[in-house]
Amino acid sequence: MTRLLVAIILVAVLFGLTAVAGLVWAIRRGQFRNLTAGARSIFDNEEPVGRPTDAFPPPREEE
Amino acid sequence: MVLAVQDPSEGADPRQELRSRAEIDRSCQGPVTLFVASAVAWLLFGSLLAMAASIKLHSPGFLSHHAWLTFGRVRPAHLNTVIYGWAAMVGIAAMLWLQTRLSRVTLVFPRLLTAIAWLWNLAVAAGTVAILAGHGTGVEWIEFPVPVALALALLFGAVGLVSFYTFARRPPGHIYVTQWYLFGAILWFPYLYLMAQLMIHLGGATGVVQGSANWWFAHNVLGLFLTPIGVGAVYYLIPKVIGRPIHSYYLSLLGFWSLALFYNWAGTHHLVGGPLPAWLISVGIVGSVMMFIPVTAVAINHHLTMVGHFHMLRTSPTLRFVVFGGMSYTLVSFQGSLQALRGVNEISHFTHYTVAHAHLGVYAFYSMVMFGAVYYMLPRMTGREWSSARLIRIHFWGSALGIALYWGGLTWGGWLQGRMMNDAAIPFLDIVRFTIPFLWSRSFAGVLMTIGHVAFAVLVWRMLAGAREPARAPGPTLLGRPRGEREINPAEAQ
Repeated sequence: MTRLLVAIILVAVLFGLTAVAGLVWAIRRGQFRNLTAGARSIFDNEEPVGRPTDAFPPPREEE
Repeated sequence: MVLAVQDPSEGADPRQELRSRAEIDRSCQGPVTLFVASAVAWLLFGSLLAMAASIKLHSPGFLSHHAWLTFGRVRPAHLNTVIYGWAAMVGIAAMLWLQTRLSRVTLVFPRLLTAIAWLWNLAVAAGTVAILAGHGTGVEWIEFPVPVALALALLFGAVGLVSFYTFARRPPGHIYVTQWYLFGAILWFPYLYLMAQLMIHLGGATGVVQGSANWWFAHNVLGLFLTPIGVGAVYYLIPKVIGRPIHSYYLSLLGFWSLALFYNWAGTHHLVGGPLPAWLISVGIVGSVMMFIPVTAVAINHHLTMVGHFHMLRTSPTLRFVVFGGMSYTLVSFQGSLQALRGVNEISHFTHYTVAHAHLGVYAFYSMVMFGAVYYMLPRMTGREWSSARLIRIHFWGSALGIALYWGGLTWGGWLQGRMMNDAAIPFLDIVRFTIPFLWSRSFAGVLMTIGHVAFAVLVWRMLAGAREPARAPGPTLLGRPRGEREINPAEAQ
């Protein structure tokens, strides 16, 4: 029983550390540097900023 | 074969991007639509169980002649089918599609995912039958027998591995905030589920500690599984639909990391007044109140992104459901933070108020966002369009009016119920009789919601099973006529 509890607590600590590791990794990889580019990363030339996309299939004449 | 697509750059050919995005969307077609179809089937079944449970509370003789239809079995069967059937499966569908889109790779291991979906259905079915047969564990949110639960934990873990593999194939570049939320969900949840099984059913915790383990788990299903998937989906869908980036990307990251920091502590707010050390309960209350920070960040962000574009709610089905869901998220979270306070909890605990709060979260927030996600994903995956704007409207209004009535009735009745229970002079049975009209209002609300679900199921069925294209001009299924071809000025979208 004690062994199980120790194992559980160790795994819990490990998971907490993965969250910290994730944050550190993100900071090091520059994920927090260019926030404006980050917000725009889901847009591209085909679905650009300024064009609503609840229009499917895409209007043919705009190719 | 995994198709890793180039990160779009200034000179990229828009047709290549269109083809690539289309390829990614189509690659999801098999497994993801299977998860969606399964989820919708569980939603229907869960709605029937919900109606039975609701009616039984104000009309106890209803369906009372068979052991397997008694309230003590029907209610947990409802809870488990809507959580592990509907919510988990539609969440995984949305997550897989979002991850392929955001990592810009086609779906990996489609056959494995198809197998996972079928096994998942089998597990949920087996668990539900077990509950109705009287073999439920009696612990809230984990009533499935242990073998079923362990199978689900394994399947959750497998989906997590697929997610990691997808992520690892992404091209270099920015990791959008939705990805963080989705990773939070799929990384934390298998661990949470397994730990809950170990601690509660397999002897890791005993006595009162089982209670705190139970509510640590149950609250984290909401906060570290459903919430991240829901909020992550909103962060992608609102900007995508209206064509405008998130108002403050900084706030969105702040929101994610503060959620990761605070949410996990909140579980013991379910046990305020219970036989736990006071400090442990206070920790839960503090964690709950700290949640004001990420929730406010999310609310500000969504609202300021939507400002100037609310008119699109008239025409876009996805936007309607997603914005309804997003606003409900803010509401339910603020309500939850307040409910954790001892003074409020003294009145609301053990009343219908709590049930209303729970459904505001899982239905008005999470399920409505998921409906919106399905309305966006499925056409892009199948290459078809929704067959009827009218049915979409029926779905929306059935669900929206239904949950509004549900929440209103039980919040009002539940609060008064709580006030009366704190008055020793009022006989308990008088209080029970007092709540009956409110319980009727909930059943009526349930009928509205079920009508909405049936409309939704018909739409999904027609989209997935219908081979013939509907005989209409090609174009989006909108709820009304858009106000001209109004393009948003990109400068204005800053």
